[in-house]
Amino acid sequence: MRQVRATLVIVNYDGRELLARSVPAALEAARAAGDHVVVVADDGSTDDSIHYLATTHPEVEVLALRHRGFVHACNAAVAAATTEAVVLLNSDVTVASDFLSPLLEDLSLSDVFAVGCKFLNPDGSLTDALGNRTSCQWLHGMLYVHHETDPSRLMETSPQLYANGGGMAFWRERWLSLGGFDPLYRPGYWEDVDIGYRAWGRGLRVLYEPRSVVFHEQGSTMRRVHQRRYVELISAKNAILFAWKNLLDPALFRRTLAAQARWAADDVLIGGLPPRTGALLAALRQLPEAARERAREQRERSASDREILNACGAVL
Amino acid sequence: MSRRGSIAVIISFARRGEEAAIRQAIEHVTRDSPGVQLAAFGTPVSAPVLHSLGIEDVMVLGGAQGAREALRAARARRPELAVVVYSGPGTGGHLKLEALALSLPSARLWRFVPGEMYRMVTRPGLALAVAGKLVQAACCLIAGGLVCSAAWIWLRLAQLLRGGRRARRA
Repeated sequence: MRQVRATLVIVNYDGRELLARSVPAALEAARAAGDHVVVVADDGSTDDSIHYLATTHPEVEVLALRHRGFVHACNAAVAAATTEAVVLLNSDVTVASDFLSPLLEDLSLSDVFAVGCKFLNPDGSLTDALGNRTSCQWLHGMLYVHHETDPSRLMETSPQLYANGGGMAFWRERWLSLGGFDPLYRPGYWEDVDIGYRAWGRGLRVLYEPRSVVFHEQGSTMRRVHQRRYVELISAKNAILFAWKNLLDPALFRRTLAAQARWAADDVLIGGLPPRTGALLAALRQLPEAARERAREQRERSASDREILNACGAVL
Repeated sequence: MSRRGSIAVIISFARRGEEAAIRQAIEHVTRDSPGVQLAAFGTPVSAPVLHSLGIEDVMVLGGAQGAREALRAARARRPELAVVVYSGPGTGGHLKLEALALSLPSARLWRFVPGEMYRMVTRPGLALAVAGKLVQAACCLIAGGLVCSAAWIWLRLAQLLRGGRRARRA
């Protein structure tokens, strides 16, 4: 099998302390697997991240960007990469030294767009954050993403809905032809679900690779920077936009709109987070943008929503 | 102080992470009313959580039929106390729980906000809160309906104007 070269991209924003753990691990993994590159895409950090990298890890390439958020930083880093494969890593993710080879091995299978890692807590226990063997559920007219928490079902390489953006490998060319992460989802959340769904929609596959282990300090990135209420609002807004953009099946789309309208009343019936009405109003502001992206999906999609959802575990 | 053998119904969502709040509420209830028997409303998902907190008598709300039966069972117990346990600070939201409390023939009603002492509430007071929240819920529903209608119209028009094709089957 020919050697595939990869760029390991660590996306950083004010994560100097996290880099002290993630960069040495990435460098070790890159060396262990062959001739690979480690790049830190710095999203306009205000701390001394860049100075730290220049003085402590001069072998790491730094892509210094203006602060525009995670989605833009990822897209800029992939566009700047010069290798066939790219591995996106969050700054709060520390990779195991042997994580890279299985990812590149799976990428070489036919029709694979991306491969996701196995996410563990720093103590080696199974993480509760989304990432492991993702699938979806269709419940009361809404699409929910789900991840496997049973360790016995996380033993084999298997198809999944999307690869968590905190630890995913993919072909750079396929990423670019898909258009990368969609800025519709700025500042973050659901962009990885979206690109996975779009890949399935174009006849490509996304895999889960349990041999590629990464350790994830949950909530150390987005939740470190933003208040919980804001994070929940953004996540809910993006879930709404995902449906507006991607659900092309007329019946499923009508059902999801009806469910979203009813969902707003849960602010009072149930309360708590996320702020549902606020999320709907925030999504409304991005409706023209969602319409443009939906039109692109209509042009380029080769698989129906039902085919994608069935392939990814949803019972319709 | 309540009679020995009287029943207190705990009304909560009992979601993951709310165990501490329910435990605090139970402590307050048992301190205020020694010997009180605890019961609770739950769902198939939350029932194990409530059992783990020592509440054996869980009336499971599941679907419209299940909800009616659970409500009938709760009324038949003639609880002396109904305790609404809120998920977080403040008493916003939770209309479902407050309406449930109001539907019980309890002599006393408590609202329990995590980290605070319980607040006693009169039946008319709770009814007023429920009525206010019903109006709020209707407003949210209308707002949601308007947003989703706008989304449907806009996306449909955009599709027609661009002459976009529907997804082809592979």
